Amino acid sequence: MTSRATRGRRVTATALGAAVALLLAGCGDDGGSGSSDDPIVVGISLPLTGDFSEPGKGVQRGYEAWAKITNDNGGLLGRQVELKILDDQSNADRVVADYEQLIGKDNVDIVVGPFSTRLVVPAARVAEEYGMLFVEPAGAAKEVFAQGFKNLFYAAPAVADDHYNHLAEYLLALPPGQRPTTVAYAAMDDPFAQGTAYGLKAKLEAGGVRTVVDEVYPPNTTDFGTIAAKIAASKADMVVGGSQYQDGVNLIVALQQLDYQPKLAAFSTAPTSPEFAAAIGNKTEGILAPTGYTQKASYPSNVEFVQKYTAQFGSPPEEDEANAYTTGQVVAAAVSAVGCAEQGECQQKLVDWIRGNKVETVVGPLTWDATGKPQGAHMIQQWVGGQIQIVLPTEAKEVDVVYPKPAW
Amino acid sequence: MPSGALLFQSVILGLLLGGLYALLAAGLTLYFGIMRVVMIAHSAFLILAAYLAWWSHARLGVDPLLSMVVTVPLFFGLGVLLQRLLLARLRPVTLTMMSVLLTFAIAVLIEGLLGYAFSGTQRRIQLGYGSASLGLFGARIAVVKLIAFGLAAVALLTLYLLLKRTRFGWALRATIQHPDAARLIGIDTDRIAGFGFGVGLATAAVGGTALALDTTIYPSLHWHWIGPLMAIIVVGGLGSVPGAAVAAMLLGLVQSLLQIPLGTTWAQTVFYLALFATLAFRPQGFFGGRLAQRF
Repeated sequence: MTSRATRGRRVTATALGAAVALLLAGCGDDGGSGSSDDPIVVGISLPLTGDFSEPGKGVQRGYEAWAKITNDNGGLLGRQVELKILDDQSNADRVVADYEQLIGKDNVDIVVGPFSTRLVVPAARVAEEYGMLFVEPAGAAKEVFAQGFKNLFYAAPAVADDHYNHLAEYLLALPPGQRPTTVAYAAMDDPFAQGTAYGLKAKLEAGGVRTVVDEVYPPNTTDFGTIAAKIAASKADMVVGGSQYQDGVNLIVALQQLDYQPKLAAFSTAPTSPEFAAAIGNKTEGILAPTGYTQKASYPSNVEFVQKYTAQFGSPPEEDEANAYTTGQVVAAAVSAVGCAEQGECQQKLVDWIRGNKVETVVGPLTWDATGKPQGAHMIQQWVGGQIQIVLPTEAKEVDVVYPKPAW
Repeated sequence: MPSGALLFQSVILGLLLGGLYALLAAGLTLYFGIMRVVMIAHSAFLILAAYLAWWSHARLGVDPLLSMVVTVPLFFGLGVLLQRLLLARLRPVTLTMMSVLLTFAIAVLIEGLLGYAFSGTQRRIQLGYGSASLGLFGARIAVVKLIAFGLAAVALLTLYLLLKRTRFGWALRATIQHPDAARLIGIDTDRIAGFGFGVGLATAAVGGTALALDTTIYPSLHWHWIGPLMAIIVVGGLGSVPGAAVAAMLLGLVQSLLQIPLGTTWAQTVFYLALFATLAFRPQGFFGGRLAQRF
């Protein structure tokens, strides 16, 4: 109840702020918002509390690292970068009010995206209404790009549906006798998690690989016994989990409890987490995962990022941090190239620049299509010899793919 | 049509799950029997116990089962205090309704404190035997699920013997059946009710430990549990411990089997369908008789 009341007040405050702003604008232009000594204010709403608080804080650290590293290097256009971060409490209604406030009342120069697909879409809609550039670190599901947004860019190598592209190519290129013939899919009812599994499913089905189990479970599922029983009973050659972190761990443990031994097991997100091995009792051998970011990548800005981030926060960055940092890099590249950072006409110039150029980032060079969808694919990592290593694409691999995988 | 092996596996999983439901529902129905209290916070205490088991394993390196040495007496004491200091002060006329509000507040308080202390991150106890299993006619039984089921069975049996074979149990049942008559024959019903609450909450401590062995826990997980548990005790007949146990086993089994054709999302609705059917056709519940004559 409290939050609803507060929100009511905030909306009123925003409306009031907008009215005052209009009044002031009517009185004449006093002091430009883009003068050369003012900091460039970047507005962000993040889920710092609530369901997405853990990844939300990761994204926050990524943005903070970007601001600090940029400022230490002399800022943007000679101006310092200042972050203005609001907490949306993982609530899609709140995120809208937050961006309205940031753009309308706080008059920030740039806005960048929040965390989670569910929050990106409403936030992007507000940015679009105000004609603001909207680079975002976390809207990987295909719904994001089906909304007709013209100012949105996803700052990562690939959308969820394309995460497994390298794996699909690899599997379909195997000789028919070795190729897996049946696959079991289990995906969380979440646009991102489901997108990864269904992207692979579409490609494998098109290549003639049969789907024998196709399960969707709600995000709050804690008991995976029956889902695992179905998968085990199907004796599928391969299991694909469209998972976030904990559900992936639970599903793998449930499958191991049933002594199901597939030739290949691929799970999104969970296997790349530092706690993964301990969480499933070190029975990780052969598990695959797509990954959009690795600290080991040799792109020049990544080496700087990992080193300075580690100095700032005491531990190396993970994917959430890297995606936020990438978002900052894309914005910085556009601002430096166009030479402006304020609301108004400048925003369209920034959008046009990003649309037509390639940006070098910590996750590699990025380009986008007309809907803001990045044009790459994720690397595939596999647990080999007790650590997670890049196996695909071949040009980036650290070791060869182990297939069929050893028993877990 | 699912294969026989899958059906058999699902029956086993359903029974193991039903055992845990039975223990958790037993405590909940006990409170209602004792003083017509709807204890919304029961599952919050359950999650609290699960967190204590997780914490003692992750931070102190103790086997989660050993955490019960502390949590069971602790929860018994908390239950007594909760009844004596808070619930007993509610006015009898509005007791049932106000108890919903009061225990709702306690549930939110526990959830908030858990989130504050341990953050909203999902947690899971990492046991060396977490993925070990035993074979049974082609099906697999996970060791942790078996331990959880064993805990539930032992706790339920203890509860049953306590109610049927001890003077305290007789006094408690007398208090449930007819408080005035119980007072007339010299039972201190206030004290007994307090101890009854303690026993109910102690089952939450055992249940929480059992739960923590094989599932993920997070502070708001209790909302996920309270609905099915409420449905179970209504289907079983409010206040009837054996009714709750039977309804729990049955609904756990049906839920597990329904997951085969319907998937996880829709299988959850079995509890609410059973709840509607019970309220529509047999409001007193399917397994208990009139409240006064239960067990």
